[in-house]
Amino acid sequence: MSDVQIKKFVVTRFDPDKDEVPRTDTFEVPCQSDWMVLDALNFIKDQLDGSLSYRWSCRMAVCGSCGMNVDGAPTLTCKSPLSSYGDTVEVTPLSNFPVIRDLVVELDGFMEKLKAVKPWIIRAKEKAVEEGPYRQSPEELEDFKQFSLCINCMLCYAACPVVGNEPDFIGPAAIALGYRYNLDSRDEGASERNAIFRGEGSVYSCSFANECSEVCPENVDPAAAINQAKLSGLVDWAASLVLPRGGKD
Amino acid sequence: MARAAHPQAMQPKKPGTTRTAPPKMPDGFPGKGRYRTYVAFETTGLIYLLMGFIILRAIWQLGAGEAGWNGVMDAYRNPIMIGFHVLALVGVIFVGVRFFWLFPKAQPPRIGPVRPPPAAILKGMLYSVWIGTTLVMTWVLAGGAF
Repeated sequence: MSDVQIKKFVVTRFDPDKDEVPRTDTFEVPCQSDWMVLDALNFIKDQLDGSLSYRWSCRMAVCGSCGMNVDGAPTLTCKSPLSSYGDTVEVTPLSNFPVIRDLVVELDGFMEKLKAVKPWIIRAKEKAVEEGPYRQSPEELEDFKQFSLCINCMLCYAACPVVGNEPDFIGPAAIALGYRYNLDSRDEGASERNAIFRGEGSVYSCSFANECSEVCPENVDPAAAINQAKLSGLVDWAASLVLPRGGKD
Repeated sequence: MARAAHPQAMQPKKPGTTRTAPPKMPDGFPGKGRYRTYVAFETTGLIYLLMGFIILRAIWQLGAGEAGWNGVMDAYRNPIMIGFHVLALVGVIFVGVRFFWLFPKAQPPRIGPVRPPPAAILKGMLYSVWIGTTLVMTWVLAGGAF
């Protein structure tokens, strides 16, 4: 049996039917030494207040559902041991997002941005099945593998000062995922995506605060993707001036 | 207490029917932790703006011939002007160090068939060019080239 320590949890509450603005509730939780922040929230939900709303699913840092601000920092709560926090822990919804209820934020805006960058393989002409699979070398895979590890937890959006000030900015995770396909040797849609990256909410809105990469729980490094996309977008644009079909494809 | 973000931040184009609480800026922005370094980096733009005005004014004054040149030199001896230039030097070094720290990760894995050198080598090249340029400029300004 692990040690138990009482910790105070200050949690943001917001009921759209009752509350004009978000408020806070405080809970005292007997925390075991091996608990993550999410375990304490589950204790509150199960034992103290069943009306507390938050998202979670896999408990193993794969699904990206349980992102919240813990003591002000965007955090994947299933991956953050309570032992690294003090006696009082503040849990608030992710910054830069509208709040639907308690710790639950509005995701539709993110889903629109994600869809806009076309995060799938685009081919000018699909190969017939009998022509066999698209082959890719380990070196070609290595070019984009890092950016494909994104779990869409949106911590990067919560940390980015540009997202909070410029609503049109596509944002870190969506650009990283779009750029991941630009680097994929099987893809032929780089020019299409680069036009999106240069358009409304462009990659050039990013002022390289680097916070997205600092908070990313999967070490995806979205700031690298955004700033690489700036350079390759520029090369693609310059190529389009001199070549009839633009850059990559 | 976090500041309010833009009310449309991360809102879907067609808002849902549920009333939502407005988004807030990240905790600690702009004055705490890593955000402070980032904001300081962005603020150095003001120094360059002022420096631009000073240089333009100096060029304008040179139109008055030798008297203009002497006027510029007198102005540059002013303690406020010296203080500003020290501040500008600190700003340039700060921006250079941060830029060189971030620069390697902004390189695509390859441009055509060419891969950029490893980050450590890239940083070494940047610092070498910076130090080399500074030494050459110092030598030229000290009269070594004439």
